[in-house]
Amino acid sequence: MVNTNKIIFKSILLLSYLLIIAALLFLISSLYGYFNTGADRSKILHTKIKKTDQYLPKVTWLVDGNLGREMNAQTLSEIESNYLDAWYIKNIAFSTNSKIGVDAYYTESARKNIFNIIQTNKKEKITIERTTLSHNPNIFLFSEDGQLVVLEDKNVVEYKRIFKDNKFILEITEIANYKVILLLEDGFWRIRHLVKESLSEFDKKPKASPPASNIIKGINYYPQATPWNMFGSDFDINIILKDFNLIKTANLNTIRVFVPYKDFGKSKVSEHKLNKLRQVLDAAEKNDLKVIITLFDFYGNYEVLDWTLNHRHVEVIVSAFKNHNAILAWDVKNEPNLDFKSRGRRNVISWLEQIIFLIKSIDKNHAVTIGWSNISSANILKDKVDFVSFHYYEDKAFFEERYTALKKIIQDKPLVLGEFGISSYRGFWKPFGSSEEKQANYYKEMQAVFAKNKIPFISWTLYDFNKIPKEVVGELPWRRNAQEHYGFINKNGKKKKSFKYISKN
Amino acid sequence: MNLKNNLFLGCSLFVILSITAQKRMHKKQDLILICLDTLFVAGSSINLEFEGNTVIKYQMYCANSYGSTLIKPQLQGNRISFQVPNHLSNKSGVLNWSVVGTKEKLFGTLNIVPRESPSSIETYIGPPSIEAGGIDYSMLVIIPTDNLDNPLKQNTVVSIQQQFLASERSNLVFTKNLIAFKYIYSPLKSGRILLSSETVGLNSKEYDVNIMPGIATNFTIYSQRNHTYADGNQITTFTSSIIKDKNNNTISDGNFVYFFITNKIGALLKTSGTTIAGVATAKIIHPDYEEDWSIKAYVLGMAESNTLKVKYKKIVENFKVTFLKNNRKITVGPIKSFMDQLMPDGLQVKISIYKNKKFLNEIIKSSREGFVSFELSQSIYKNGNYDFRISTAKVHKLFQTTALW
Repeated sequence: MVNTNKIIFKSILLLSYLLIIAALLFLISSLYGYFNTGADRSKILHTKIKKTDQYLPKVTWLVDGNLGREMNAQTLSEIESNYLDAWYIKNIAFSTNSKIGVDAYYTESARKNIFNIIQTNKKEKITIERTTLSHNPNIFLFSEDGQLVVLEDKNVVEYKRIFKDNKFILEITEIANYKVILLLEDGFWRIRHLVKESLSEFDKKPKASPPASNIIKGINYYPQATPWNMFGSDFDINIILKDFNLIKTANLNTIRVFVPYKDFGKSKVSEHKLNKLRQVLDAAEKNDLKVIITLFDFYGNYEVLDWTLNHRHVEVIVSAFKNHNAILAWDVKNEPNLDFKSRGRRNVISWLEQIIFLIKSIDKNHAVTIGWSNISSANILKDKVDFVSFHYYEDKAFFEERYTALKKIIQDKPLVLGEFGISSYRGFWKPFGSSEEKQANYYKEMQAVFAKNKIPFISWTLYDFNKIPKEVVGELPWRRNAQEHYGFINKNGKKKKSFKYISKN
Repeated sequence: MNLKNNLFLGCSLFVILSITAQKRMHKKQDLILICLDTLFVAGSSINLEFEGNTVIKYQMYCANSYGSTLIKPQLQGNRISFQVPNHLSNKSGVLNWSVVGTKEKLFGTLNIVPRESPSSIETYIGPPSIEAGGIDYSMLVIIPTDNLDNPLKQNTVVSIQQQFLASERSNLVFTKNLIAFKYIYSPLKSGRILLSSETVGLNSKEYDVNIMPGIATNFTIYSQRNHTYADGNQITTFTSSIIKDKNNNTISDGNFVYFFITNKIGALLKTSGTTIAGVATAKIIHPDYEEDWSIKAYVLGMAESNTLKVKYKKIVENFKVTFLKNNRKITVGPIKSFMDQLMPDGLQVKISIYKNKKFLNEIIKSSREGFVSFELSQSIYKNGNYDFRISTAKVHKLFQTTALW
């Protein structure tokens, strides 16, 4: 007995000794670690330049030579960078009525002109949100000593939104031609003179390019394993090919996919992601499926100063695929009307409008639409889109009636039901919820309405999913669980009863 | 003031003429612009007057080259007017406006032209110094502005005065794209061009451009020395002729001239100097043995000189060597110079030590008052027979099988 106690006592002592030593070692090592961080020698010289893209209007230099000194690429890029910064800083100055930063990009005499206006605006409580969308500069003269540049900036597209006492007054888009003198001062190209030479109104009527196919029988598509993350690291084109084949044999002809804005690299679209999207489009083409690409998924900042960044994103994606045979249409954004409350209705609508215009200026052949989340929003911007698409998750009983009502309002544009569906979930969180039978019945009845009224449809969705990101439906388990069961095929890969009604025959 | 009056007159005329006509034309419009003038001079007061429904609260959006703002209306009976703030109407360029609150879009643009007379001439000139010869040039950029800091209108005459030595010239240039400019080509002579500009009675201050001489052309070199002996003590000085550019201007001070010396065996020595008033001077010490030098100077990458030959006469024909202290102390000297004077200190004497035809060591010492002595220590050089070779000023003496003990 004494012996066992002794052994226990000894081992406790030994253990505690080991523990204390371990703790001490840990403390000393973390102290050592602390004193050895932050002294990275590579940081002494500030060699790393941190530059984030803030303002990227489309700049097209007219390179036709100039008087004076020969222009080189390096100087031109410095001039461009400073000149755009001058516009950017001016945009900020007018939206905040503050003078910060203006002196870096305007010479002493030039900045007065801006300060005078800002001063009045501040007094009158006028704020102006503004941005420029494109510049077409052309250097006339580069002085022999490299200190002065005279340039003309043609067709500067300026968007302005004017508020007084925080109340919206008007928005305006103008096209102006400027002549500019820039001086190289303290290493900055500063604006010395800025003269608006002419001005015209921006023609906001986009050209119509109606959808090539009016009989859309489609489905919203995510691979089963990677919902809302289709182009991530688990991207597998073989699964997608197999799914497309399944969709085609189910007598569908269209899919709707989503391009996440941030995931694709925001203003600098990643070539890698673009390549994945290309594979998806090729796979669709192989299976004779048309694709509606929904842009700006998970994007929520509609601020005017973010527009130029959005533009560069759209520009790359749309130009890359505008000639792809699989493209049916561009959906600007999924359910933007849900952001009306948090981001302001006007912000969202003017944002949509200019993105539509941009897409149409790049791709003149494919239709553009907006995936409104409900019927009541569907008539917003109806004159700008090529077909109106809306989503319907309400009671199927009212669908036909509401559709006919909408059809009466929008007579000249095709209507497409971009999303609809019902969950088959019944379980702990929804004991009296739906069922596979109910789901099948829903689709059966909906398809009957579609057949009767010749309604193009895109259902939600092919698969039941295992994991839904919280950005989509939030954390609430009854919503998440319901969302997991919208598919025609269940989690085990078996077709549900509704599969029979996935398309009209 | 006059202008204002005219403007007012013009506007009133318009009012009378157009009110009736316009009323019929724009029945739907709730406001009618009365003054249809669209051309204004910077700084004039711009008052946009409308007639119509004055119950509604209108505002006017107004933008010029630098920014935009909203203008509050002023009511007078059934007239409503918007006074464009001075800081907007002061700037030349297009000023556009649009009335907020009307049913139909009501907007327009005004052209504001700069004032006729300049109040300042901004002048930029560069590069500030250029090379003579008529190829290099500088550029004068002139921005004449009115007193509201607007660049004057296109095709404003600017005259540019130019003075160089005896010549005085005046040229006319016209403003285009806000500026006027002129290339200033260099004359053949170096010096300084003075410039000034004048526009509509306003004169600039004086500016100058330095005309620097061009690059060096080939030149000749000379040498100068006290005597022709190779004494390793005196200094030979090389000088260049006055180095000129191709237009006969003396090149700028500070041009580096390298003098490369090739000796008898083809080795290179180098000395250098910079030019002052076109002349470069470089120095080098005499060799201490007979030499034939050929010297050529270069302004690197630009010009070279002739080849100069310089000979140095031998002065040491022979020297005495004495062995003392068991042959372990070897004294060389007296070494005599060209007038039999003792050699100035510092002449190198070398002794090479061999044993059984095998090289052991070499000791070098400098002469002092004509003598050099070497001591061979017993601990290093054991007793025995050694060979010695002693040389100075390229004269050698050999001592074979000399016993040390």
